[in-house]
Amino acid sequence: MSFPTIEFAAFFVVVFVLSWALMPHPRAWRLFILAASYFFYGWIDWRWVLLLAGSSVVNTVAAQVIARSPSQATRKRALVAAVVFDLGLLCTFKYLGFFTSEFDDAFDSIGLGSPLPIAQVVLPIGISFFTFQAISYVVDVYRGETRASPLIEVAILQAFFPHLVAGPIVRANELLPQLRTPRDPRAVLAGPAIFMIVGGVLKKTVIADELARRVVDPVYNDPGAHSAGELTLAFYAFAAQIYCDFSGYTDMAIGLALLLGYQLPQNFDRPYLALSLRDFWRRWHMTLSRWLRDYLYIPLGGSRGGRLKTYRNVMITMLLGGLWHGASWTFLLWGGIHGGALSVERWVRERYEGFRMPAWAAWLVTFHVVCIAWVFFRAPDLGTAFDVLGGLGLSGPSPLVTLPVVFLVVVAVGIQALPPQWWRDAEAWFVARPVALQGVAVGAVLVVADAAVGQQGVAPFIYFQF
Amino acid sequence: MEPRGDRQLRMPAGRVLVVMAIAFAVSALFNSEALVRAGEGMRPGPTRDIVLAVANPLDDAAGAIGLHLPREGLDLAFGQEDKTESGTQLELGSTSILRPRSERQSFRQPTAADPLDVLVTGDSQATFIGEQLVDQGPPGLLDVETVARNGTGLTNPAFFNWEVNARQEVEARDPDAIVMALGGNDGFNVQTGEGSLYNPGEKGWETEFARRVAVVSTVLSEGGKRPVYWVPPPTARNKEFNRIFASQNRAVARATEAVPTLRYVDVYSTLNKGRYSDELRIDGRRVLARQPDGIHFTLDGAALPARLILDAMAEDFPVLRDR
Repeated sequence: MSFPTIEFAAFFVVVFVLSWALMPHPRAWRLFILAASYFFYGWIDWRWVLLLAGSSVVNTVAAQVIARSPSQATRKRALVAAVVFDLGLLCTFKYLGFFTSEFDDAFDSIGLGSPLPIAQVVLPIGISFFTFQAISYVVDVYRGETRASPLIEVAILQAFFPHLVAGPIVRANELLPQLRTPRDPRAVLAGPAIFMIVGGVLKKTVIADELARRVVDPVYNDPGAHSAGELTLAFYAFAAQIYCDFSGYTDMAIGLALLLGYQLPQNFDRPYLALSLRDFWRRWHMTLSRWLRDYLYIPLGGSRGGRLKTYRNVMITMLLGGLWHGASWTFLLWGGIHGGALSVERWVRERYEGFRMPAWAAWLVTFHVVCIAWVFFRAPDLGTAFDVLGGLGLSGPSPLVTLPVVFLVVVAVGIQALPPQWWRDAEAWFVARPVALQGVAVGAVLVVADAAVGQQGVAPFIYFQF
Repeated sequence: MEPRGDRQLRMPAGRVLVVMAIAFAVSALFNSEALVRAGEGMRPGPTRDIVLAVANPLDDAAGAIGLHLPREGLDLAFGQEDKTESGTQLELGSTSILRPRSERQSFRQPTAADPLDVLVTGDSQATFIGEQLVDQGPPGLLDVETVARNGTGLTNPAFFNWEVNARQEVEARDPDAIVMALGGNDGFNVQTGEGSLYNPGEKGWETEFARRVAVVSTVLSEGGKRPVYWVPPPTARNKEFNRIFASQNRAVARATEAVPTLRYVDVYSTLNKGRYSDELRIDGRRVLARQPDGIHFTLDGAALPARLILDAMAEDFPVLRDR
């Protein structure tokens, strides 16, 4: 079930009413919200619910063993077993098909035929996200940063429907304490919630899908058939599209959770204002950056082993971050560009201490490195990516370069420059309006969003495939 | 004590519910036509029944008091064209269109300086076929544009009318050739212009489907101006789908006798000799050719239908043989 659909709207109204009605009864509420989340997840394929529930059971057992065992060796074995299980699950569904095919080709090339069966694997939506949450939970229990919880809490932590499909990636100590305290129905953070939901819907339908339809998809499907001007527009337009698509989704997720009384961590903080790559990764997909830092980069040694080891760790982290999106050379290169740029940035910072680029130049460089990397992220193969990059320019007839498309790209990037306080003031103003006006305003935005979508329907969110 | 700023952002849950109710009511009233279309596009079942039971009377009421106007203005602003229309040949035309015709046609041959503008359209199957047509085609001779209309078919014109869409597409793009990959969403019953209702698998269904193919391909070819390469679905893993797809393939083959510029691209019985398989051998390499749904091609697998389409195109454009 996707957020901007009739089915989800109906589902959410029912969940909203029952969730608040059951709030004074914690045990009933927990069972209800878990059932609702499983219903949401099983809407497309009920078998995925079994997978999700199985993951919760295994990680709960592992965490209980870690918490209760006095033996360090047993605790460690339980941790390793849980992480191996989680990664095994992820690898089976996400990478088995790719590796089977690659090994088969390798065997074939040395005359051994194609002995392996080609695997037809259905990738359950959101598996990367709930697996990462499971790993962070057991590791946090092992580190003593959170206490081992009963199965129902772990299941809700993983399955809570607002964040289940595409994040934000929530840590146990962010959500579990909230689950243990009934929320106050008299004080729902409705201002930010409604703004985030409505803003997310508009970002997705009016900007992301429009840019995809009008310029990004046509250009990336056949770069050779498009002029330099169109390639350049698509280069910037995809940066705008992916920001509005992904942040639009997580804005909706955070807003929906707020309406139910729960606060999820922010996932985006105006990323295209970043003045360095390090700054960018503090603002883009913040919960994944944080996960990679805490559960990969730091365990690898972080910056503790000297300069070369730090560069190595940065590269490994970013390459694996790239591969997390999918088993392909394009994602690997995307991660490699970020890893390389982060390493260069660190080297310059250490080598030329005190050197400061003018802010406009730092922004320009950072933004364009990010945009170049996005070309590899979007392109179906390396050839297409190089065709796009090699063809950038301003020449040629460019029927796809229209004022509305350029305007949408500028809005997507420019809107991030608005001071956060303005949004806060607008939310407070909205909350103080009469209820009828609030309802009509939100309804009007939904009408605009639906008109933007038209009959082609809302395109799937980009991050659903990860 | 909570910060004062935060208090200004909070509302009681009951009030939030009222805001949601008003918002959905406003949205449903002003979007009533879209709500009806959305319902028409759903798979048969209780959700569809509920949506249509609410949306139809709402749409009548909204239309009567002029509430369609704001949405029509917004559609104009976003460049959206209405894809449904009453009284079209697709719904009401007769089977006389299926009378066999034969005419000689010749088409402009592409050159590197003036490549062939190819529109690849249809349902979601069109996406990868379009991408592979770019990769498999001779370099520099094809300019391919892919416009997939996901979830559409010929059997549900109340949701998406392909005759209307075909008219709009050829008017807007004026391509030299059209590839149409359609049929995966056509498992519904059909009603003929005379009011007879047929289920998939019945002879009448197949005739009506052939008639609709003829109607749409006549519009796409604009009276013989361009060839239309129609690609019905390949074999499916599911037996029931497979039966419907076989019927569609026969219907398209039949329609080619009535529309001289319509070409049937037989993926169904050509690939793997008409037997379904997840994997296929392409250039000596085994590839996963089908998606998990057992209907759609993967990007790799779409290379084979793309080559069959190029073979068919080479009959009309001999220069495409050298690739």
